[in-house]
Amino acid sequence: MTWSAAAPAVTAAFLASLVEVVEAFTIVLAVATLRGWRPAALGTTAGLAVLAGIVLLLGPLLDAIPITSLQLAIGILLLLFGMGWLRKASLRAAGIIPLHDEDAIFATETAALSDEARRRRQSLGWAAGITALKAVLLEGLEVVFIVIAVGAGRGLMVPASLGALAACALVLSIGAVVHRPLSRVPENLLKFGVGVMLSAFGVFWTGEGLGIAWPGQDVALLLFAALFLGAGLIGASLARRLRVEFA
Amino acid sequence: MIGMFVGEKRLTMAVLALVAVAGSLVDFTDLNSLIGGGLLLFGCLVLLIESVCRSARAGAS
Repeated sequence: MTWSAAAPAVTAAFLASLVEVVEAFTIVLAVATLRGWRPAALGTTAGLAVLAGIVLLLGPLLDAIPITSLQLAIGILLLLFGMGWLRKASLRAAGIIPLHDEDAIFATETAALSDEARRRRQSLGWAAGITALKAVLLEGLEVVFIVIAVGAGRGLMVPASLGALAACALVLSIGAVVHRPLSRVPENLLKFGVGVMLSAFGVFWTGEGLGIAWPGQDVALLLFAALFLGAGLIGASLARRLRVEFA
Repeated sequence: MIGMFVGEKRLTMAVLALVAVAGSLVDFTDLNSLIGGGLLLFGCLVLLIESVCRSARAGAS
């Protein structure tokens, strides 16, 4: 395995995981702030355990699937996932939809738990724990999908997993120090970048799954990424103009 | 989980249709497979821009 082959997988897994882990961390922190660290830690641990179970159960199945079918299925899912992110990031960059605001999400989750507290004071610990579990499980599933998508089929599962783990370690380290939502992460910029990379991987894998021999092999990914970046920027620029015209 | 992949229904359907057309070109015609690849790549770029512009028009109007 060469660094040039592993670098795109590591970078994509790291950046995409960074976004997901920041989202999960915001909700876990809201739970911990309102109800203490016990339900937050229990919910997080339970979420991680369910995730580990899913990975252990489904991971070995990946080896049983023919490589071209795996590439095609993962390629299509990556295309849909990546283009969805890129579309939203372009619309956010154009000011059509509001930027993702971790402070606002933190406030919303805290308010929701406070409402829950007024209604059901006794079982609030459960509600808080389940909120943390849900956040870790849902965002974690996205991380697992991204790691599988960029790592499977090319023997890059370990580098992709390391990229995701590095993102978790970074967010948790910063979070442990600052103890507040990581609102200064340039999330839309990250999502734009990750959308570009996932879409590029999506076209690459889908093409390989369909039997297309891309010229330059992995190097083609760089061209695809550049083209998706250009398309995203053109889309954002056109959307900005349309917003002004229709306003 | 479904929301992960189906962000916008029309874009999702269009991408799936594009993959089907590109796959048919590669499998059932004598054309160079790169033509199918080019269609897939540039089709996705066009669909992305179209989807962003359509959402912008809908959002702004």
